[in-house]
Formats: sequence, structure tokens, C-alpha cells
Amino acid sequence: MVFRNKDPNSLKAPSGGQEMPDQPIQAAKRRRQLHPFLFRIGPVALSICSVLLIGLMAVLYLSQSGQAVTANQQIQQFHNQQAVLQRENQDLLYTIAQEESPGYIAEHAKSLGLVPADSKSVIIVVVPHLLPMKAVHGK
Amino acid sequence: MNIQVRRARHRQMFIFLLVCLGIFVLLARLYYWQILQSHSGYNLAELANAEHIKNLTLDAPRGLIYDINGKLLATNVLRDDVYVEPLQFSLDHPNTAQKDVEPLIATLHQVLPKVSIAKLRAAFASGQYTARIAIGIDPTQSEQLRALQLPDVFLEPRTWRIYPGGSLAAQTLGYVTQNDTDNHGNYGIEGMYDTLLEGKPGSFTAVQDLQGNPISVNEQPPVSGADLTLTIDSTIEYIVSGALADTVKNLQAQSGTVVVVNARTGAVVAMAGEPTFDPNHYGQYAATQGCLGSEEVYFNPALYCGYEPGSTMKMVTMAAALDQGLITPDTTLDDQGCMAFPDAPEVCNWEYMAYGTESMTQVLIHSANVGAAHVAHDILGASRYYPYLARFGFGQRTNIDGPEEAGVYLAPGDQNWTQSDLTRQAFGQSILATPIQVAMAYEAVANGGVMMAPYLVAKINANGKVITTQPKVERRVISSRAAQLLTGMLTQAAHYGTGQLAQVPGYSIAAKTGTATTQGISANQTEASVAGFIPASNPQFVILVKIDRPQKAIYGSTAAAPLWRTIAQQLMWYYAVPPDQVS
Repeated sequence: MVFRNKDPNSLKAPSGGQEMPDQPIQAAKRRRQLHPFLFRIGPVALSICSVLLIGLMAVLYLSQSGQAVTANQQIQQFHNQQAVLQRENQDLLYTIAQEESPGYIAEHAKSLGLVPADSKSVIIVVVPHLLPMKAVHGK
Repeated sequence: MNIQVRRARHRQMFIFLLVCLGIFVLLARLYYWQILQSHSGYNLAELANAEHIKNLTLDAPRGLIYDINGKLLATNVLRDDVYVEPLQFSLDHPNTAQKDVEPLIATLHQVLPKVSIAKLRAAFASGQYTARIAIGIDPTQSEQLRALQLPDVFLEPRTWRIYPGGSLAAQTLGYVTQNDTDNHGNYGIEGMYDTLLEGKPGSFTAVQDLQGNPISVNEQPPVSGADLTLTIDSTIEYIVSGALADTVKNLQAQSGTVVVVNARTGAVVAMAGEPTFDPNHYGQYAATQGCLGSEEVYFNPALYCGYEPGSTMKMVTMAAALDQGLITPDTTLDDQGCMAFPDAPEVCNWEYMAYGTESMTQVLIHSANVGAAHVAHDILGASRYYPYLARFGFGQRTNIDGPEEAGVYLAPGDQNWTQSDLTRQAFGQSILATPIQVAMAYEAVANGGVMMAPYLVAKINANGKVITTQPKVERRVISSRAAQLLTGMLTQAAHYGTGQLAQVPGYSIAAKTGTATTQGISANQTEASVAGFIPASNPQFVILVKIDRPQKAIYGSTAAAPLWRTIAQQLMWYYAVPPDQVS
């Protein structure tokens, strides 16, 4: 069978003026139009695949959402735990502050039998040749 | 078209119209519920959101208050309020609620003995959704209730402001109102710095499932309030407030005030008043009065209670004359016990004591009213005296961190001012000053004539941004030479005069006593005070002691001076200030 090129501008052989057959290109075009994928797939199979794909996406979405919710709940648990620890910390700080307060210390000192120093019984000891100390402002 | 087909068409049309009508009715109803009633009337959208959206306001932790050494003066703790659900309980026990509630009430009463059985019964009988039965219970009680998991009983945590030192520095700190609607600071530092301390609340929005578990959360965290560090030293404050309370009690006085200021910086080291209150239970003191019964006890008397300073003001009169070179410590006058003035009433010394020829130093030693009035009226005159009252800060707020009074006195130009005001103000009458004003006047002399601005807040830590207060010079009041001369005169006055009971072994002191009487009441109802600084050779602390209406000893020299000495002695020991006198 002899194929004739209808288009005068079609490709020609680089030499000798012999015409090239267009059959492989046309066939490929036609094949791509009929079968866009590499394999043949009918409408039923396409529907099933679509449903499966959508289902898979739904499962993935639900899985991700579930994980996010679980993570969120964990975060909330950590927050609750943090709140409990903060509360304990506040209580401990308060206890320390109470026990550091001068009133508390004075009470305990009294209970141990200590008495306040008597300013009237102060004795100034003179140390000869001692250089005067420089007074300190505050602490 | 035959008749059967036509009838069939009519039936179809009828059914079609019927369906259309039904759909229209449904659409109208849908419009009514979805559009008209969604945001009004039943508020369906809001109710639906309330089912699955949780909105909470997150309270910002109130800033803490520390003393200069980092000890906590005010902090926060979480304590639980206890609620019961009477309506839910009656729904859970439809026929046996009366009987079933008794064991629950007994258990609650056992854990919370302060809540009476009658109150618990009334709460359950109220039929409300929720009823609060206890506020701010102890942590151990909270633990017990959580472990018991009682039905229709729940705990609601609430932040409480706590002051670990109790009444320590209470009038300086103020308090925080603690009720359901108001949590604001009142009086003192809590009131003055309320905006800074309270922080900024956050928000918590969560979509929750049927069990109330949050699914998605949108949280705007709260911004904590700023922490404040005060210049107060809680140990000195404790010593001062304890000694003051003892003195007021022993002398059967009405009230008392002490101010201790760092002589070089103006930082307030201690400030105490008696009577005082416990800010943890501030409500119990609503009927207690301070400021000689004129104000509530919550006011800081050192800043808010004006008084006639009495003879402590003689220091100001002498300072004005020394600074202008009009007198020296050795300038003399003839003191016959009383002095007449052509344009003012006669002024007399205490018990009309006549001292003859006396120097200005002896005027302070004798605490002679005649000498002070002579200096103010005859040597200074109004034009040279009143500028010094203003320079020393009388009649003006010190702008310290807290609500304060300005004090008041009559000056030339004021209605009703006479020369009598001048002669009397010279020895501390006809003028109202606050204790902090008198203390700062002495601070100016102690600091070589330069008055510092008094301050209470040493540092503000606003979430990492730290602002430290630097000592600030207010103004030069008198020359350093005048301050030096005056210090010598005050030292002599304390050593030989009325301030002898204020003497501290090993230390020189510069101090002046004052005994003020109030017109219209008995002369033995005094306000006894001592103001001065220690050590005189290198001043570290200014101390003002004021005892109101003491009964057992009525003079500054006998009622206030011993307390001044006790405080001064403790300060020297505590700060390890070396003695400057060994004889």
C-alpha cells in the first residue's frame, strides 16, 4: 500500500525527495484520544477507582483529624498537669515565704528559748590603733 | 385530548400545587427558625454554639511584691470554692432526694466543718442549678473532696492574694478586694500600682465533643502582672512594727507612726503604723479607725495623717537662718521664758522656763519656743522664712509611691494669715505636716543639705523588662555648710537636751524631740515625736517616731525617744554600721 502525503509542506526526506509515511504519528494521536492512560480502563472501573480514591482520602483525612484530636487532648492533659504543678509551686512558694517571714522566725526563736538582745547591755570595746571602718549604705 | 387525560392532568396539577404549597410552608418555617429566630428570641445559634464551643477568660496572675532582699510580701495562691448542684441532685434522685441527700450532707460537713448542716440543707433545698457552700477552702480539704468524688459536688479554683507576713507593712502594701466581681488593689502599693500589677487577661475558646473534651483550641495566653520590689526591708519593718506596737500599748497611746529612710538615697527602709490591719482578712478591720480616728485604718499614717510637728520644726527655723547667714550656732538671745511681739501674741516656753542668755544651740537643747519664735519673727521675717518651708517640702506632696496628703500651713497672702502664724510655725504649731515630710526634712540635713526624693519601689519587673529606680535629687534645700552646722547643733541637742533617752551607745546621733498639743483639747493629750539621724558623723538612716496621745508619758523626750533609740540600735546592729563614738 502506498500512502500519499496530502500536505505539500509535510516533511520530506533529507535527500532524494522521497515522501515520509505519516502513519505512526496519526496512530499515536488517535490512541491517546481513545485511551488517555497507558492502560485501558472502562467506565465501571473508573467509577470504582474514583470511589476507592475518595474513600482513601476520607480515611486519611479522618486519620489525620483523629490524630490531631488525640494530640490536642494530650496537650490539654499536659496543660492540666502544668496547672496542677503551678498550683503546687504557688503553695510551696507561699510556704517558703511564710517560713522566711521575720514573724515566723521570731516565734520559732522564742519557742527555742531565745530572747531578743538587750540594747542596754551593750558594751563598746575600744580596740587601740584600729582603723575606722567605712560605713556601708544599706545592704 | 380525551376527558380521562384531562382529568389526569388536573390531578397531577393539583398534586404538584399541593407539593409546592408544602415546600413553601417548609421554607417559610425554615426561614422563621434559621433567619428570624437564629439571633433573636430563642437565640438558637447561640444555644447551638454553647453546646459545643467553650469560651473562658483566663485570669492574668497578679504581679508579686518583694522586699529589698527578695522576700515575698504579697503572692497568689489557688484555693477552691465548693459548689453543689441541687437541681441535678433532685433529678438524679427523683423520689428519694430528701433521704439520699443526708449522707452527702454529712460527708460534706465532715470535710468542711465550718459549713453548718443547716446551711448545707438549705443549699440543697434551694433548687438552684448551682449553690456555693464554701469559699477558698484549705488544700487538704480540696484533696479530700477530690478523693471522695461526691456526686453533684464540684470545686472551682480561684486565685487569692496572700500576704505571708500578715500585717507586716500592711499599710504600705494595701490589699486586694477579693469577691466575685471585683479583684482590684486598694490603698498602698496595691492601689497605686493596680494597673501594672493586675496584668492582662487572656482567652480560651475550644470546640468540644459530647463529653466536653476540647477538639480544637484557640488560646490567647494571659499577660502576667509586673513584679515589684520594694525598698522595704522586712526584717527592719518587723522590728519597727513590733517595737511600735509595744510602745503604743505600754504608753496607752491612741496610735503611732514610724518612718525609717536611707539618709543618702531617700529609699524608705521601714514604714509602720499602729493600729494596723491584716490584709489577708481586711474585711474584719472595716470599723477600725486610724489617723486619730479621722480615717480608715487602711490609710498609711506616715503618708496620710497630718499632724503638728511641734519642736521638731525648730530645726527648719534654724536651718533657714543658718543658710542665709543670719545666725551662727553661737548667736545669743535673752530668753526670759516669754517674748512679746508687737504684731503677734506672746510666745512662752514650756512651763514658762526662762533660760537667760542662750545660744542658738541652746535654743535647741532647751527646746525653747521663745528662741525659735525670735529667730522666725525678728531675724528672718516672713519673706525669708516661708521660702524655706517650701524648700523643705512642707505643704507639698512628696510624690512617693502611695496615696498621700500634702499637709497645709498658712502663709502670707493666704486669707486669715497673721504674724502669729509665723511665730507659732517656728516651733511647729499652726502647720500640718505628714510624718514622711518631717522625715525628709531631716534627710535633707543628713545628706549635706540636699533633699532626695523618697521612694518605695526599687524595681519593676514587667515580664522581663526591668526598670530600676535610681535615687533622685529633689533639690538643694540648704548649703552643705549650714547642714554641717545644724548637724552639730542637733547632736548637741540630742546629747544635752531633750533627746537624751534617744542616745545609742557607741553612736553619735543628731535628733530633736517634739511635743505637740492640739488646740481645743487637754494639754496632756500630746503628739510626742523624735526626728533625727544616725550616726551623726556619717548619717546612714533618718528615723521619725511619732506617738499619738500617749497617757503614761506625754513628751517626745520620754514617750518617743526610747522607741527611737531601740530602732536606731537595731538598725546599727543589723546593718553592721561601725560605732563612731567610743567614750
